[in-house]
Amino acid sequence: MASLITCPHCGTRPKEEFSVRGAVIARPSASEKDEAWHRYVYVRDNPKGRYQEYWHHAAGCRRWLVVNRDNLTHEVFGVTDAQASREGSR
Amino acid sequence: MSAYRLDAGGLVNRANPLTFTFDGKSYTGFDGDTLASALIANDQMLMGRSFKYHRPRGPVTSGSAEPNALMTIGSGARSEPNVRATVAELYNGLTAVSQNRWPSLAFDLGAVNGLLSPFLGAGFYYKTFMWPAMLWEKLYEPLIRRAAGLGKLTMEADPDRYEKAWAHCDLLVVGSGPAGLMAALSAARAGARVLIADESARFGGSLLSENVVIGGQAASDYAAGLVEELASFPNVTMMPRTTVFGWYDDMVFGAVERVQKHVETPSPDLPVECVWRIVAKRAILASGAEERPLVFGGNDRPGVMTANAARTYLNRYGVAAGSKVAVFTNGGSGYRTAGDLSARGVEVTAIIDARATSTDPAPYGVRVIHGGAVVATRGRNRIDALVAERAGFEEEIACDALAMAGGWSPIVHLMCQRGAKPVWSDAAQAFLAPDVGSGFVAAGSAGCADSIAACLRDGASKAAAFSTELGFAAYAANIPEVEGEYDPDFAPLWYVPGAKDKAFVDFQNDVHVSDLGLAQREGFRHIEHTKRYTTSGMATDQGKLGNVATIGIVAAMRGVSPAEIGTTTFRPFYTPVSMGALAGTSRAEHAAPVRTSPLYGWAKKNGATFVESGLWYRSSWFARDGEKTWRDSVDREVRNVRENAGLCDVSTLGKIEIFGTGAAEFLNRVYSNAFLKLPVGKARYGLMLREDGMVFDDGTTSRLSENHYVMTTTTTYATEVMAHLEFASQTFWPHLDVRFVSSSDQWAQMSLAGPKARIILARIVEDDISDAAMPFLGAKVVTLKGGLKARLFRISFSGELAYELAVPAGYGEAVADAIMQAGREDGICAYGVEALNVLRIEKGFVTHAELEGRTTPDDLGYGKMMAMTKPDFIGKRLSTRFGLTAADRLQLVGLKPVETDKEFMAGAHLLKDGAAATLAGDQGFVSSACYSPTLGHTIGLGLLKSGRERIGEKITVWDGLRGTEVAAEVCLPVFVDPQNTKQHL
Amino acid sequence: MALTLLHRHALEDHILGFETSANPNHLSVARRPVIFSVLAHAGQEQAVGLALKAAPDIAPRFCGPAEWLAVSLTAGSETVAGHLSEISGASVVDQSDGKVLMAISGPSVRQILAKCVGVDLHPQAFAPGHSANMLFGHVAVNLARTGPDAFEIITPRSFAGSVYEDLMEMGREFALTASFSGG
Repeated sequence: MASLITCPHCGTRPKEEFSVRGAVIARPSASEKDEAWHRYVYVRDNPKGRYQEYWHHAAGCRRWLVVNRDNLTHEVFGVTDAQASREGSR
Repeated sequence: MSAYRLDAGGLVNRANPLTFTFDGKSYTGFDGDTLASALIANDQMLMGRSFKYHRPRGPVTSGSAEPNALMTIGSGARSEPNVRATVAELYNGLTAVSQNRWPSLAFDLGAVNGLLSPFLGAGFYYKTFMWPAMLWEKLYEPLIRRAAGLGKLTMEADPDRYEKAWAHCDLLVVGSGPAGLMAALSAARAGARVLIADESARFGGSLLSENVVIGGQAASDYAAGLVEELASFPNVTMMPRTTVFGWYDDMVFGAVERVQKHVETPSPDLPVECVWRIVAKRAILASGAEERPLVFGGNDRPGVMTANAARTYLNRYGVAAGSKVAVFTNGGSGYRTAGDLSARGVEVTAIIDARATSTDPAPYGVRVIHGGAVVATRGRNRIDALVAERAGFEEEIACDALAMAGGWSPIVHLMCQRGAKPVWSDAAQAFLAPDVGSGFVAAGSAGCADSIAACLRDGASKAAAFSTELGFAAYAANIPEVEGEYDPDFAPLWYVPGAKDKAFVDFQNDVHVSDLGLAQREGFRHIEHTKRYTTSGMATDQGKLGNVATIGIVAAMRGVSPAEIGTTTFRPFYTPVSMGALAGTSRAEHAAPVRTSPLYGWAKKNGATFVESGLWYRSSWFARDGEKTWRDSVDREVRNVRENAGLCDVSTLGKIEIFGTGAAEFLNRVYSNAFLKLPVGKARYGLMLREDGMVFDDGTTSRLSENHYVMTTTTTYATEVMAHLEFASQTFWPHLDVRFVSSSDQWAQMSLAGPKARIILARIVEDDISDAAMPFLGAKVVTLKGGLKARLFRISFSGELAYELAVPAGYGEAVADAIMQAGREDGICAYGVEALNVLRIEKGFVTHAELEGRTTPDDLGYGKMMAMTKPDFIGKRLSTRFGLTAADRLQLVGLKPVETDKEFMAGAHLLKDGAAATLAGDQGFVSSACYSPTLGHTIGLGLLKSGRERIGEKITVWDGLRGTEVAAEVCLPVFVDPQNTKQHL
Repeated sequence: MALTLLHRHALEDHILGFETSANPNHLSVARRPVIFSVLAHAGQEQAVGLALKAAPDIAPRFCGPAEWLAVSLTAGSETVAGHLSEISGASVVDQSDGKVLMAISGPSVRQILAKCVGVDLHPQAFAPGHSANMLFGHVAVNLARTGPDAFEIITPRSFAGSVYEDLMEMGREFALTASFSGG
């Protein structure tokens, strides 16, 4: 029927406004080894429980977000702007 | 009025009689009745037939848990099956028909199943219809389908409207009994936004059916006072006739409001039902408690109902369940019903109390049989006597109704829909609401409060706690004194041994005690297995009445606590919700949004046939008089573009405006080919890859000024490309100064193609568009005659001299008209996407038929577009991996039939000449094919193993779907003007 | 050959010929609104946002952290473009033909919109002056509150017909009427 995601820019919105891309993994640099690229493109942990995913607020601010949630219970622990969280981690 | 309608009392409006029919016979009830109460009042206790044995059944409840009194209401396209008569509001002109009987409700031939019942026990279907398997489709399934289901769906289209809506509140209160009303009022007074929903038309819940005095007022008057006060708050939304059916993630609740199910002819301006998605910060479940039926022989005879139902019919509707009512109880509720009936002058023949002793007060003069049990009932379509047993002695007692009280189960369904299981309480002998976190709690009897006073207090205090949490000043509620309460305590009695007839647990699905025993003996011991094997709890009522008894009986059979057996899984919906309500307005033309091009009107008046392409309606071809098939039109359009000129709507292409000092670098990283040095005023064809090296999308990007580009994408991938660019910009390279926004809708874009394109275009454009001023791949802003600014791109998807002209969307139709006018003397025509497709296949240009997710640029002959000297671009790194460079990859080729009158179609497989059609022999497939009017025969593009080395080879085009096999020659993927002279004219 | 080009509104076929006198709940479709996309470059987000607020004749509509729609129902396209060109750190693009602006007002406006959008439009949650992109049915739109009972919806032009028809359908219960406004 509905789930809600609280976008840091737009507020609480139904999940229909978003599209999910999957696990948050950093893109390797061009010089990294084949194994790193292979893992980046093909390998996902797919854990049951807490998970960081890229969600796109497609019908809202069109920002990519990092949604930290439990994929079993859908408890959401936090939503941040993907660019901000990337810059924050640098 | 009738024997069972009392002369006075009840909350029905006797000044407003209503006429209705049941099985063709006319009856009268009152405003405020349910269909069930009106039928009981009219001595029509027989209301349905059970599913398996076709046993005669009457209502066992007065509410939404009803398993028996299901009927079809309405007629024609508005007929709705399986409506519970116990909740259906009576209205004037209502027509109801009974179900699952033939030829009539009172005499049903299907009842012969009852005689066969020794063979129809649990697992009957599984055991009988096992083999031979071939009979399943032909015999068993049709047979079972004919027998299955109660009501029949109408096959007519639903004439009514349904809607969906959102609601938001601080506090959602589910249920409007004493706890719900008091909770809502308490939060409302504190200033919170309150939404209170109740499935009934009238708020009050048990206050409408219990004979107590609250603060000196009758309970129903007290409820009316609370309702009136609630209605006065602007921060309160009251939703009667609304069932909260589901609890979803993040405190979103689903509810269905029956807006016009209580009127004969609904207004077309209102929905008949509305599905609400309610977003609540906090919620209180005040859904009350369900009285359990007792499980004894013959407990399904019409006239046997719960004590609470009998009390509700009496006090709320002014209807006596019978004229001689017996009571079978294991607690105080039975005594209360006896007392209420007796006080209203209805004869109570006996109270059979399963307990050896009790202090519950029996009405004066009524015989109480302590330590007794009912072991059988008598009567055909209505009970006329019961057989009571006590200490080994049996006695027949005449009665025309039997009120049974088997204890209480809090209605905790909603709180268990997200995985939490209800918790067994030995003290309450019931499954209680689980702890689901701080935002959602049960209050009142749903939370096991055992008196109306306790319900009022509980509702008020839980709402006050929530109000405080949400930052409102909690309002201390004034709880009045409640007089005349009874003790609802009970002693558990799961089933009565020694039944002389079937003792039903699940009434609707005809599951009886011995079925449960069979399931245990045959190994279906887990409660979920027991449920599925016996079908207990699987009917439309989902076991609201029977599930707890099922668990209790299984526990008793196994000698363990119900806690050990546990419950089955709770899921939405609490009560059935119509498909119409779930669809809302998303039907017919509102099923999906329609996207129309700014040139839609132009295309329409030029005779376009439209094709749905995603959400778009694109012009497919433009038929002219005398053209018999679409091919006639397409062939003419193609020839005309090659010989003269044509105008095609390409507004649906995605357009993205890209700005910034980092834009060039950004484009260089998202395209596989080089973009850094694209000059201002030029367009370039680009390929975008996925990170795995496969082609993602293609299109042109033009540099309009130093730091301003406009990108076009394919129509299909416009949305995906935009999201892809945003992802790359925001997460890969946020330090690049680049910003972009879609301008897809701003521009009407049209392709003017053909040898005469330039002379036609020159008639409407001010600027010099000679080959020198506007060379191939030129891109610039031009001024149309009259002053309108437009974007002009010299790009070709047909191989002809061609331009794409983009004008502000509002002028699109006028500009297209002007071009048609300007080109008339040169034979211009409108052409659609079919001709566009033929033109590009003739030139070997690819679309998503070839960019199908498994092809690399090299596969498509675009190997040179991999600018491997760039340090990085999306897809670069994995493009060189093993497998993507293999020699036997499928490569793009052209295909033409050896005999020119032969045809093939896209999707056909390619085989070595004369090879058998096997998976191992598969050499590739036809990706695009068409009839080429330029060449006069079928041509195709295909992806063929090592295709580029096989030019000239004869192969077999095998189409297993259409059963054709055509010999074809592999050729270069370009059929017209291989030197590309025409587009450079 | 001089061209006289007629401008066509996306909703012409939907509205013309169906107008009635305006009811209390009314949808007013702007004939020729001026709407620009404004994009702030990195580091300029706040300055651009403030400059937009201060710009004359322009109502800024929030789309995302670095993106707005600059709307004007009073000034012409060139005037607005002129004002916007003075904002440094921003890129702008004219979207006046790519967007359709509908103003809906009346006592039941929130009840109508509750059938269209999932966002809480209670004045405490979505006050006058507030705007945001959101899903309207299946279509992403920009919704702005312009008064206690007044909202403006900006939809992509290609979806405008669908959004309009949906809105009118949802407004049936409240006798919603519609007409064009402006020249």
